[in-house]
Amino acid sequence: MPVDATYLLQLTLNGLMLGLIYALIAAGLALVFGVLEIINFAHGELLMVGAYVMAFALPALGGQYIPAMAVALLASALLGFVLYHGFLARLRDKDFERSILVTMGISMVLLYGCQYLFSATPKMVNTEFGFAGIAVGSIKITWTRVIAAGLAIMAFAFLWFILFRTQFGRAMRAVSINREAALMVGVRPQSVARNAVVIATVLCGLAGAALAPIHLVQPIMGQFLLFKAFALIIIGGLGSMSGAIFAGLALGILESWIGGFFDIIWQEVAGFIVMMAVLLVRPQGLFGQAAVRTG
Amino acid sequence: MGRSKQLEAAGVVIAVALLIFLPRVSSDYVVGIAITAFTFTVAAAALNLVYGYGGLLSFAQLAFWGIGGYCTALWVMDAGGSFWTGLALAAGLNAVLAIAVGWPALRLHRDSFVIVTLAFSLLTFLVARDWVGLTRGPLGLPGLPAPTLFGTKLASTQSIYYLSLAFLVASLGVLYAIVTSRIGRTLLALKQNQPLGLAHGVSPTPYKLFAFAVSAALTGMAGGIQVFYLKIVDPSILDFYYIQAWLIMVIIGGAGTFWGVVIAGLVMAALPEVLRFSNELRMVIYGAILVVAVLALPQGIAGWLRERRIARLRATIERA
Repeated sequence: MPVDATYLLQLTLNGLMLGLIYALIAAGLALVFGVLEIINFAHGELLMVGAYVMAFALPALGGQYIPAMAVALLASALLGFVLYHGFLARLRDKDFERSILVTMGISMVLLYGCQYLFSATPKMVNTEFGFAGIAVGSIKITWTRVIAAGLAIMAFAFLWFILFRTQFGRAMRAVSINREAALMVGVRPQSVARNAVVIATVLCGLAGAALAPIHLVQPIMGQFLLFKAFALIIIGGLGSMSGAIFAGLALGILESWIGGFFDIIWQEVAGFIVMMAVLLVRPQGLFGQAAVRTG
Repeated sequence: MGRSKQLEAAGVVIAVALLIFLPRVSSDYVVGIAITAFTFTVAAAALNLVYGYGGLLSFAQLAFWGIGGYCTALWVMDAGGSFWTGLALAAGLNAVLAIAVGWPALRLHRDSFVIVTLAFSLLTFLVARDWVGLTRGPLGLPGLPAPTLFGTKLASTQSIYYLSLAFLVASLGVLYAIVTSRIGRTLLALKQNQPLGLAHGVSPTPYKLFAFAVSAALTGMAGGIQVFYLKIVDPSILDFYYIQAWLIMVIIGGAGTFWGVVIAGLVMAALPEVLRFSNELRMVIYGAILVVAVLALPQGIAGWLRERRIARLRATIERA
């Protein structure tokens, strides 16, 4: 097959868009893992809830994108708050397996509850922009995608600002680097953990809300993305946010290229194959610090 | 034999005797539920060996279940083999896969084991759905023939019932022998304090891989029996629902408690059918039970009873 430059550019742009969504999910997952040392199985459902809030807020607000997005983000922040205080705060340290089981239970309640209330039928969502977009050369990109990408990039800038320029973010990084030392210098673990969960939930809600007008909204949408995000945080190194973001972007582009030239199965499988390879060659992840072998 | 062992043996004999007579007094519908309850209980007990005793939260059980189903079905449909050799093949293939997946996954720590086993299950699902040449894709393989035993076709639901009952008894026997042996005690010791085990010169990986491989083989055979009861195998055999159900059985029964998980498996597989909830509502309730059980009863019901017994004993000793 001759490689057409426009086609390749189209694939790359699509992949970049997909990669930004992956990166949003994986960054939140890595943040929660770094600070709380838990793996959040309900993370995909947080995305689904963001998408559903967007899907209900958009028609209610007459299709206005930004106000509906604000509603979705607020709802996500609230959900993160409840998730932390209702459930995660009750887990003790070193409760890795229990944290998985609890978040899996929450994910089941949200996923099947949503299916029970709204049925498994996918919803289509329309915005004020409709299918209008901008043209780059011969490639047309819809506004919903452009805005989604812009919001994701803004979210990363904001995240960087919080983590590296505010006291509140430095506390989060301190806890994820060395928990005991952070406690000794007076960081309050509860509020740091709550902040991390709320930020992760908002990132996830943003991903869901941005996806809502682009993809079909359905209860199962979060689950598969979550499983990919797991692969991403392994590739990037557990707890490494920059690793997760980089791996997310790279996987989005890689999948899009593979999808453009090969059979669809390879597109879905790519992330897992890379993950297996990384585990065999560099088990601490591409960006992780070398860890002590324990098993 | 101690008193509790005698009670255990008597309980097993009575339960098996009752289960042998069950099809005589109930409809095919109830018998069908019982078949699923048996295969689920084997899968849950196998998960208990890995998670409850070995301390490894494995999501690969789902893949083993599906691979067992597909392997047995493909062996019968495409290779023209018998159901029994298909089951043996499924067990062997799963044991090999368990070691192939488990060995790299155990290299770092328990966290990555969880994720690698999860990814393995998802990969299996993708293969089942997208590798149409091998698995027929989303349509699956319908119309699986009834297995034959010594020239007789096991065509009725009742005969499959006895097959799965025999499988249940045999698998639980194997698992019981393992958990009460030195291997089971070593696994529990490593779960409670791995550094101490290491200091005693125990290498954990072979024990964990052994438990993982045994549980994979049994789960695969359970999957093989299940698809021949359903007479179809398609990618829905790899639905996440199955592993969630088994995990809940293990948690409610008490991870690391042999009979607790067996009883929880039998009861929880049958209960939703009896209560006739819609599938969604059932999963919402399962999820809520999981959250509450893990937060309030971390040792499961059996563990809670054990704790109470120990507390009572302590009180008696202090009084004396």
